[in-house]
Amino acid sequence: MLDLLSVRDLLTSEERAVWDATRAFTTGELLPHAQGWWDAGGAPRDLMRRFGEQGLLGPTLPPEYGGAGLSAVAYGCAMYELERADSGLRSLASVQGSLVMGPIHRFGSEDLRRRWLPGLASGELVGCFGLTEEGGSDPAAMRTTARADGAHYVLTGSKVWITNSPLADVAVVWARVEGEDRVGGFVVPTDTPGFSAPKIDGKLSLRASVTGEIVLRECRVPAANRLEGARGLGAPLSCLTDARYGISWGALGSLETSYGTAREFALGRVTFGQPIASRQLVQEKLARMLAEHSKGLLLSWRLGVLKDEGRLSPPQVSLAKRDNVRAALNGARAAREVLGASGITTAYPVMRHLLNLETVDTYEGTHDIHTLVLGREATGINAFG
Amino acid sequence: MKILTLIRQVPDAEARVRVTNGAVDLEGATLVMDGMDEYGVEQALRLREGGADAEIVALAVGPRRNEDALRTALAMGADRAVHVETDAVLDPISLSKVVARIAQTEGIDLVLVGGQQADWDSQALGAATAERLGWPQLTWTNGLQVQDGALTGRHDVDEGNETFTATLPAVVTTQQGLNEPRYPTLPNIMKAKKKELRKDTLDQYGVTPLVRVVGAEIQARARMNRVIDGKDPQAAAAQLLELLRNEAKVIA
Repeated sequence: MLDLLSVRDLLTSEERAVWDATRAFTTGELLPHAQGWWDAGGAPRDLMRRFGEQGLLGPTLPPEYGGAGLSAVAYGCAMYELERADSGLRSLASVQGSLVMGPIHRFGSEDLRRRWLPGLASGELVGCFGLTEEGGSDPAAMRTTARADGAHYVLTGSKVWITNSPLADVAVVWARVEGEDRVGGFVVPTDTPGFSAPKIDGKLSLRASVTGEIVLRECRVPAANRLEGARGLGAPLSCLTDARYGISWGALGSLETSYGTAREFALGRVTFGQPIASRQLVQEKLARMLAEHSKGLLLSWRLGVLKDEGRLSPPQVSLAKRDNVRAALNGARAAREVLGASGITTAYPVMRHLLNLETVDTYEGTHDIHTLVLGREATGINAFG
Repeated sequence: MKILTLIRQVPDAEARVRVTNGAVDLEGATLVMDGMDEYGVEQALRLREGGADAEIVALAVGPRRNEDALRTALAMGADRAVHVETDAVLDPISLSKVVARIAQTEGIDLVLVGGQQADWDSQALGAATAERLGWPQLTWTNGLQVQDGALTGRHDVDEGNETFTATLPAVVTTQQGLNEPRYPTLPNIMKAKKKELRKDTLDQYGVTPLVRVVGAEIQARARMNRVIDGKDPQAAAAQLLELLRNEAKVIA
């Protein structure tokens, strides 16, 4: 475990136990297969059930809905470990937990909670989250609509870059509600007539998870499937804030893998009669990775404490998501360079992490968008549009 | 029946330990339950899942941080835990006195301890505990069942393995291959918070260490840092054989 500043001492006994158990799970069940799943273009469907058995899906939810009642910090430790194996594998868990189970729990009726959450927690069901459209970073430009029609809503529109949509059993879809002029959330079973989810092929990143579109053609869902507590764009954005929090931890797990691989390689690789780890330029790269990891871990831990105290603000999450992911991306690039030609092969995990992080750097709010959030925090001036 | 599983805490296999002032410095190292003891906890759980009506008690004798390892045992499924908290480093013979006393006061039928005690490697703890209690001891166990109040199992010997039966109560030492320990699940980690973890002091057992560690060193071996180019697998294999045979002299 890479922990220069002994952040582990700041954790509770349960948080350490969650970290250790997930680390053992990752080492035993994920690391040996991560590259194979990448090569195959997707992890097996059954992995979601293994995540479910281990309690990794929606673990912060209360036990009556299949959660474990974990603290935000413990959840972060678990995401760190999953992403130590692969960002796509962490994405599977964070989409299901933060973006599907999260809104159903927070905004849904008791009926919706009881109907969907236990199956999603066990991994029997797979969920996806439909917010993003062609407009990307500008969700207020949403064109998908929901029209009330008696005891139903009729959904029309399309969503892109949706993790897990081609294999999902249920989608949480966000749409502009006609006559209300605000965004509402709907639980849409994927076998509803008019729902389709074509797969997006040719991905060179996050290949362990499947990505697709969501196409809604006059898709009729019962009015009871509306997330009643979600009124306006703030609802889906709050789900993203949760997911981004987990990503800030996950990125550091990936950075640990890049650092550990580069360090070991540099100690073993000899040029001009000495291991390259003895060279100042190589040490600078390793030192930078170690420094960024250490600061990032303190940052994510502090964020988790604030979240557990209910004091977390979106700009704080933007800071951590932005900086930790960029640090991991730069670390993976540096590690690739330390490994030289070996770094480009699948014999080492760094190129896979590097390609994954190219996505992580721009999804869930791009690096630049989070910079603008911080800029607005600093100046009070909105520079988005 | 009642099963007592002894838990020891050791540095994680990937931990880098330092020696400071003649003693192993665990500062900054991640400490986990000894793998051998995981087999013990797992086997106790399997005996119960196999139909034995068993209460499983996890025991640790050591510093405050041992509590994490006990919590892990509780999260795996042990019913309750006893922590004899002490900063003293006990040799196996002294430690066996505590284990034997608890086995008696708790009315234990089966004691499971790690085979090698990863941080001492003495293999003496199980034997000394059995000796104090006058119970049979079964070592290097890689198969274990309980039927009609008796143990049946298998253990390794130099030439292969033996199967055995023994009466309860008994002491059993574990080894790799006994089972595949489960990962504690996140819900069970949270449920374990509510399980009993009793704190005892070493004074209650009247035990003082008989052996004192006065120095420690880490054996460091320089690596040859030689990497064989694998572009031509046959040439690489031939070169490896040549090195193993003529340089390392580990094969004839």
